Amino acid sequence: MTTLGGPSTVMHRPRTVGEAVGALTAEAGAGRRVWLLAGGTDLVPALRAGSREPAAIVALRRVLELRARGAGADTLTVGAGVTYAELAGWSLAPGLATTSRVVGSVQIRNCATVGGALGSANPRGDLLTFFTAAEAEILLASARGPRTTGIAAFLRDGLEPGELVTAVRIARPSGPQTYLKIGGRQAAFPALVSCAFLVDRVRQRVCCAVSGVAVGPWRVTEAERLAGEEVDWSTGTASPAVARRFGELAAEVLRAAPPLPEDPRHPADYRAHAGGVLAARAFARCLGPVRREEAA
Amino acid sequence: MGERRMTGEAGMTGRIGVTGGCRGVGRSEPRPDGVSKVEGLFSYVGDLSVPGMLHARTLRSPHPRARIRRLDTAAAAALPGVAAVVTAADVPGLATYGLIVSDQPVFAAAETRYAGEPVAAVAAVDAATARRALAAIEVEYEPLPPLVDPERALEPGAELVHPDGNVFRKITLRHGDPAVEGSVVVEDSYVVGMQDQAFLAPEAALVVPAADGGVDLWVATQWLHSDREQIAACLGLPEALVRLELAGIGGAFGGREDVTLQIHGALLALATGSPVRIAYDRVESFLGHPHRHPARMWFRHTATPAGDLVSVQARVVMDGGAYASSSPAVLANAVTHAAGPYRVPHARLDGLVVRTNNPPCGAMRGFGVPQVAFGHEAQMDRLADRLGMDPVALRVRNALVPGDVLPTGQVLGPPLPAREAIEAVAARPLPPRLTDDTPRTARPGGRAAGAPISRIRRGVGYALGYKNLLFSEGMDDSSTARIRLALDDAGQPFATVHSACSEVGQGFVTIAGQIARTELGVERIELLPADTRVGSAGSTSASRQTWMSGGAVRGACVAVVDRLLARVARALGLPAEVVESPRRALVIDEGEIIGAETGTRLALTEALAAGPVEAEYTFHHRRTTALDEHGQGDPHVAFAAAAHRAVVDVDPDLGLVRVVALALAQDCGTVINPLSLRGQVEGGTAQGLGLAVMEELVTVGGVVTNPTLHDYLLPTAADVPALDFVALTYPHPDSPYGAKGVGETPTCTATAAIVAAIRDAVGRDLRRVPVRPVDLVDLADRDDWDDRDEPVDAAPAASADRPDAADRPDVVDRPDVVDRPDVVDRPDVVDRPEVVLREGHR
Repeated sequence: MTTLGGPSTVMHRPRTVGEAVGALTAEAGAGRRVWLLAGGTDLVPALRAGSREPAAIVALRRVLELRARGAGADTLTVGAGVTYAELAGWSLAPGLATTSRVVGSVQIRNCATVGGALGSANPRGDLLTFFTAAEAEILLASARGPRTTGIAAFLRDGLEPGELVTAVRIARPSGPQTYLKIGGRQAAFPALVSCAFLVDRVRQRVCCAVSGVAVGPWRVTEAERLAGEEVDWSTGTASPAVARRFGELAAEVLRAAPPLPEDPRHPADYRAHAGGVLAARAFARCLGPVRREEAA
Repeated sequence: MGERRMTGEAGMTGRIGVTGGCRGVGRSEPRPDGVSKVEGLFSYVGDLSVPGMLHARTLRSPHPRARIRRLDTAAAAALPGVAAVVTAADVPGLATYGLIVSDQPVFAAAETRYAGEPVAAVAAVDAATARRALAAIEVEYEPLPPLVDPERALEPGAELVHPDGNVFRKITLRHGDPAVEGSVVVEDSYVVGMQDQAFLAPEAALVVPAADGGVDLWVATQWLHSDREQIAACLGLPEALVRLELAGIGGAFGGREDVTLQIHGALLALATGSPVRIAYDRVESFLGHPHRHPARMWFRHTATPAGDLVSVQARVVMDGGAYASSSPAVLANAVTHAAGPYRVPHARLDGLVVRTNNPPCGAMRGFGVPQVAFGHEAQMDRLADRLGMDPVALRVRNALVPGDVLPTGQVLGPPLPAREAIEAVAARPLPPRLTDDTPRTARPGGRAAGAPISRIRRGVGYALGYKNLLFSEGMDDSSTARIRLALDDAGQPFATVHSACSEVGQGFVTIAGQIARTELGVERIELLPADTRVGSAGSTSASRQTWMSGGAVRGACVAVVDRLLARVARALGLPAEVVESPRRALVIDEGEIIGAETGTRLALTEALAAGPVEAEYTFHHRRTTALDEHGQGDPHVAFAAAAHRAVVDVDPDLGLVRVVALALAQDCGTVINPLSLRGQVEGGTAQGLGLAVMEELVTVGGVVTNPTLHDYLLPTAADVPALDFVALTYPHPDSPYGAKGVGETPTCTATAAIVAAIRDAVGRDLRRVPVRPVDLVDLADRDDWDDRDEPVDAAPAASADRPDAADRPDVVDRPDVVDRPDVVDRPDVVDRPEVVLREGHR
């Protein structure tokens, strides 16, 4: 195998975030196009197809500090180099685990990383949808030092030159969480429409983001407000009628949001409807009444 | 794995006198390349490499229709590392090629007619340099409005897409009395989208220029000799100077029947004097070969109140895209099969295949029949509904039997167990009903869609179909094989088989050896590489190679045995009449030549000590005739029937479908290799499932919008249920051992059966495949979204008896494994201490 990207491509193999940032800064300063390589699920096919011809590649696999995940009293921190497979079994982060388990195929989950999902910023990205609902904070490093930004601002503004995503921070769960998605197959499909749903029983609110309808992961705020008011927070449950209303409101919000480009096989009307159905299902799954036999 | 029943198998092996022992005809011989393919060691055509070879890439038109005002390759050719750039101006021979009609330019010269049409090709020291050179080629296009609607291309005064006109072929079939109709009438229109073969190993070829001015090509093709003819004509070389050898193929399904990059690679090899490997990436593969024809169809079926079909009218319009490929033959299949495997006294079947600025369409598994089968089977269900009859009973009542007259006037020859097929699938056990314990992975949309059990609707559908075998309409698509029987270095007898039959996965690599073992009684068989040093084997298509090249191998083996026995008879001084027809007195059995009457007993090794025996044989199928101006004739050599029963679950809120169970009963003739048969019918069924619910190349204004495996989804193991397969094994009198080709027929019926099951589940008329989620959802009715009947997820009472979810990260893609408990979604109910995050925790 020849060097990724061709014989003229410079390959950096840093061992620390400092070295990685140094390489990025040097390449960017020299005005050379540089790409980051982690799991390679995005970059390698692009290199093979010739759609990206980087002057330099910074390979992040050896940067062990990016591959850690940890729990604090209130927060969970996930390094940018953590793979989906590693998240899929993480009991401290049930929503993140559920999301990770339905990304791509086993092979993809074994390679692809959290940082890669943020770097590619696919508007239908599974993890981005979950992070949007979870109001994640993105931790960044550059030669100018560390910086933290919210997921929404990150998706809007992107990386600054010479900057590297080092980790993502989310609150420790304080209620049920789930992630639902649909696509063209039973498994191993890219999301057509997806929905991340988190219940915060401490602050008595729900957070719900839907992707595949609006330009990016979209918070269905009006529906969230309804949920905050209608859920019985003493039991953490709500009636099926509330779930239905939640889905309807979510679909309404989505219809009014700036849309993704039209898709000839899946019209916007259908995708907004599907977003509402998934939101209602996620709501019922997390806040529906307990099973009859248990109640009895 | 479903239960399997092989009717008639035991009887068959007795009758044909199998002597091939444990690895002969009728045995499950494993593929010699099976393990290396699974282990990733198999050498596909794209893996070929020789020292110093150049890498070639292709420049394609981005416009579906454009005038080429200027084409300048000077800058590209001047780039360091670029060895040659070729365009239409560099084609020394014929400027066009084609399987049936030579209408496709090697490179577009003055006008491009589809988005993706090759304009130039470059050879360079590496692929990246070749790609940079493509970007440096200056092409000035004048985009023209494309004609992408086949109906509009037919309108009087429509602009001509090509000087040859906008109609590739029109067939007007009239049978019986056009005025006669039954009193019960059903009529509707149907649409089939564009499916792609989507084989997994993209196109590639290695071309090496030879000292004699010719070229040697290693290619992945379905028909070496047809490739050679077309390549030689465009290169302006005699065919003898163009030599082809088959390289490792990763799937074909019709998509390798047309020439794609072969001529481009040869032009570059001749221009540079260097070996050239030309290859496509995934996107180019989707653009580079012809697809399955999209079709618009209208049907009118009439019947008596008792349920006997009286007449079928059909109009089938197929979109052939910009160039002919095999469109004329595909249309003949579509029209002659449009009434399905039913007795129809009166038929008016009209077909048109039209030229447009869409991507060219050609051969794909089923070859025109899956499209009409979707239509005629929808009509049969509709008719059953109108008559108040059971859909199976209606099919049984009207199913063809040998001796019936087909709409072409052809008399159906035996065997055709169509009625048996539909009866057999109807008798198979149904899958269990859904319960609350049904794993989430086994619900429509998989675990991620979260469908509540109470919302899921189940449906059952049937389809019966038939498909012609071998080439039709008077074609003499013969196959030649050469066999040599000799002693190896250890003094043991072994045979070499030489055939140009292209192995695309269909199983000739096992069948050739099984037949040779059976006929020669020799255990060691060597299959030589398929190449053009032996006569044509014809195309690996039309379900023909087991019959045709199997027949050639058998014929050559018989000739070898005859020669050997005659030599032995002569050497032993046996009477002249024995030398004349030695099989009367001598047989080969278990490595010995035995003559009971003459008292002969001679080891094969001794018989072969006098030298090897060689023979060549060319197998022809029975002659057929062309269709006359009324679509009448004797066009098809033979047919095979199949029936599918599909069971589906539908999530009506999201419009998602899961195919729960598939039963197939298929007319297979004598089974040569049961394992290989199973692979073929499972694959054929899966490809039919793809057309039913997911596989569609979507074009907008003639431009393909989803040419990747990320956007063009293929069924996976999670989408295709285990096939409950019944082989109906009535031997065909004209084929070797009574075998029939099996690869295509299941593709024709799987799509129709699955859509019938979806209709049954949701109670909607579905007139288009692939069925899309939006086709199944009532967007006006937003009342049914909620989960009201779905019990909420809860932790199991005792988590100890269920495996820990986190320990089994891989199970989610596999619907057949026990579902992972969903408790991890709900940290408040999981009983492991580290996840206790109850209220008040913070």
